[in-house]
Amino acid sequence: MNNSDEPLFDDNGIKDNPGTPAVRERIRQLTDKQPYAVLCVQGEGQPYGALVAFVFSEDLRHAVFVTPIATRKYRLLSECDHVALVIDDRHNKADELMEIEAVTVTGRSQLIERGGEFDQWAGLLLSRHPYLESFVKAPTCALFRVDVLRFLHVARFQEVNQWIPDAHS
Amino acid sequence: MDSGRPLLIALDAPGPWHQQLVGGKAAKLAQLAHAGFNVPRGFCLTTRAYDAFLMKNARISAAIRMELGRKPMDDMRWEEIWDAALRIRAIFLAQPLSATLRETIAEDLRGLDTSKPLAVRSSAVGEDAAGRSFAGLHESIVGVHGRQAVEDAVRLVWASLWSDAALLYRKELGLDPANSRMAVVVQEMIDADYSGVAFARDPRDMRKDCALIEAVPGPCSLLVDGLVDPDRWELDRKSHSIIAWLPGQRDDAPHDDPLLEACDLERILDTLLSAEQLFGWPPDMEWTGRSDSLTVLQARPITTAVPDDDEKRAWFLSLRPGDARLKALRERVAEQLIPELESVGQAFAAEPLDLLDDQQLADAIEQRSAALAKWKKVYWDDFIPFAHGVRRLATYYNDAVHAQDPYEFVGLLRNQPLIAKQRNEAIGQLAQQLAADDTLRSAIERVIEEGDGSVHWPAFHDALMRDSDSAVDFLHDFDDLKQRFLDVSFDHERLYDQSEPMLRNLLELAQAPGQSLSDELEADTVAVLEKRLLDAVGPERYEEALELIETGRVSWKLRDDDNLLVARLESQLLRALDEAAQRLKALDRLSGEVRPNISHVEIVAAALREPSAGPIALEAPAENLTAELSGTASGETPRQMTGQPASPGTATGRVRCIRGSSDLGKFRHGEVLVCDAIQPTMTHLVPLASAIIERRGGMLIHGAIIARELGIPCVNGVRDAAGILENGDLVTVDGYLGIVVVGAAEFDLELGIKRS
Repeated sequence: MNNSDEPLFDDNGIKDNPGTPAVRERIRQLTDKQPYAVLCVQGEGQPYGALVAFVFSEDLRHAVFVTPIATRKYRLLSECDHVALVIDDRHNKADELMEIEAVTVTGRSQLIERGGEFDQWAGLLLSRHPYLESFVKAPTCALFRVDVLRFLHVARFQEVNQWIPDAHS
Repeated sequence: MDSGRPLLIALDAPGPWHQQLVGGKAAKLAQLAHAGFNVPRGFCLTTRAYDAFLMKNARISAAIRMELGRKPMDDMRWEEIWDAALRIRAIFLAQPLSATLRETIAEDLRGLDTSKPLAVRSSAVGEDAAGRSFAGLHESIVGVHGRQAVEDAVRLVWASLWSDAALLYRKELGLDPANSRMAVVVQEMIDADYSGVAFARDPRDMRKDCALIEAVPGPCSLLVDGLVDPDRWELDRKSHSIIAWLPGQRDDAPHDDPLLEACDLERILDTLLSAEQLFGWPPDMEWTGRSDSLTVLQARPITTAVPDDDEKRAWFLSLRPGDARLKALRERVAEQLIPELESVGQAFAAEPLDLLDDQQLADAIEQRSAALAKWKKVYWDDFIPFAHGVRRLATYYNDAVHAQDPYEFVGLLRNQPLIAKQRNEAIGQLAQQLAADDTLRSAIERVIEEGDGSVHWPAFHDALMRDSDSAVDFLHDFDDLKQRFLDVSFDHERLYDQSEPMLRNLLELAQAPGQSLSDELEADTVAVLEKRLLDAVGPERYEEALELIETGRVSWKLRDDDNLLVARLESQLLRALDEAAQRLKALDRLSGEVRPNISHVEIVAAALREPSAGPIALEAPAENLTAELSGTASGETPRQMTGQPASPGTATGRVRCIRGSSDLGKFRHGEVLVCDAIQPTMTHLVPLASAIIERRGGMLIHGAIIARELGIPCVNGVRDAAGILENGDLVTVDGYLGIVVVGAAEFDLELGIKRS
């Protein structure tokens, strides 16, 4: 598999699963059930992670989150749009390592300006996280959409499956 | 949710009724009804209806969780708790009932006599558990007419599950967004001549074999709300004979004509003891009517009051006077107390202390100290409860207008002639004089610098007269400002003696663009909101609405003025102590550099009275260690602090902490004002600030309201703000979200960049 848009990762050793319904469904279930993700960003070579409340679009091609603009993650997002999200269910299964599932999502972030598509994406986020209403409305908050490049689904500790929505659409 | 559970149950429907479904009050009423007691007809909207409402309106649960999780509730001041409850109340009112729920209510209303008013009462799960009563924490609304009003009242009663008082007792109540529920009882109101409360045992001493009956003329709410003093009978439980009768006060005097006759008392006692037999515990029963028409309004286990081991909470609950008491309080505060306080301050200020002999000066000091103590007590007993006038207006306005912004009503309070507003206008005019006169401004700057930062008034006066032609007018106006407005204490120091901070503030204000709202614009806002409220309540309630607006305004103004007027008494006490200190120093009877403060009254007065006694030394005031103790450990720095979004907007600037009077003059235009609370004494600094951070939280505190009026971002309720933040810290204040970001988002540490 080759994706010129995503030069940071090589694919050696990862099972390239053509998004079988089973894997895709596991990813969907995990992203549906888990409200929070670790957002991974970087700046000048320094990685940084922060917890965000997210929601995925129905087709799993996009994720949306919101952040205040006075934050480190906002500054880094403004400088570099290469991002990852880590979503997992370990808090439900702390003692059951083999049952824990996780998804690492890689993609590009895009600031959604007010007007245009803003209401559509903000509405999607609020449908999942209604308590964020005052955040989304605040002029000091920025709404970001992550355009997904790749999903890496991890189960049973080491079993990793990859799904690239665009490659198999 | 179990869809098999009913949304609504008629009170006379066959039981058993589960408390989890109907709450304590309804369960007991139904039990009484089934046992043949006379209870008003009605129905119970079950906890399933509450569940359904919350499930349909996911925003409500989310809002409750956000309010309760914003910061540790133990760190919240009661004003913040009240704010949280107000916002929760507003969101309940803003959500519609589902069509199913509306139809269900309408159907059952048809079974009641809706030509008469209805009562809509709370019936929370577990609220009347034996041994503890939380009466008064949740809302009951009487005099409700029509279907729409019933729907509104139902939402208000639901919201009262999260009332300020309930949030205060959240631990005892086990309040939890996931599990707490509220049922609602809707009943016909009984129009009876007499009503009251009866206790199967004396709540003051449950071992005594006697019952108590209290009665008032009219509805029971008069007694429960404390508006009418009841007649009280003590009765023997076995023989039913009257042990004692204590007449209630009528027109401030006891009367000699008992409200109830022996047959009425007999009937009430019989009912009470039968209820005790039914429940298996001695009840506290509200009743109305007499003899054959006696109706039981509710029954619950006897408790002394809200269980309380916490004086602060009990005090807080006393801060919610009803409308009648609020009106009486308004008259007392506005017409009697404030004028009296004002004249006491004026009399002290007019007293020529230098003409008094030492004995007279000692008398004057003690008199001032006693007056200060007396007025501080009045402050707690009358002025603070009167602050409820503003909060009452808030709920009244929101209930009527259903405003999107629960603080929209604040516009009604604008344009009040607060003392602080008058002072700020006088300061503004002086600043304008300086702005227009470069020579005068430079002269003041020079004279302050020559004085090495401190200003000795006579020398300053002379130097300025020498340096500037226009100094005469300025000095005259500045002196006038001092006389009228700076004869107050701030942080237990007398501002009148310190001209330098105010001069520095004037210099800053002279260079800052003016920021104030025009009176015309404010008047427009007031008129629009007043009309909005009157339109919403309708002509029949104009008088009531105007009365509450007036009470709110007077409360708003006086709650600011009272601070300054009490601070003036302290200033006058400090003036007398300073006079004494000068005399004692001249005689070498006072050593050290400590200026006397209000804790030195006794020692200074005694020294004045005993000319032969030896010299005295004054103890320096203890350093405030709070900030140090609550600071963060080495290596730990707060990066983002949370509080309440008290005024929208965002600004980045350097911190200036105002911890005492010496900090006032250091404030520079564009700095972020950080303090414990913006006091009326320092509101003139607000227009200079780029943003405000306060430890004291609340949307209705003066700092927040002034910030909103001037469009300055404000976050308040930030824990230990002035203790943690240091002068010069770079902060970004986000008044939309209620967060304060400390420092810039840098990665210099990770990237190995060394700071210069």
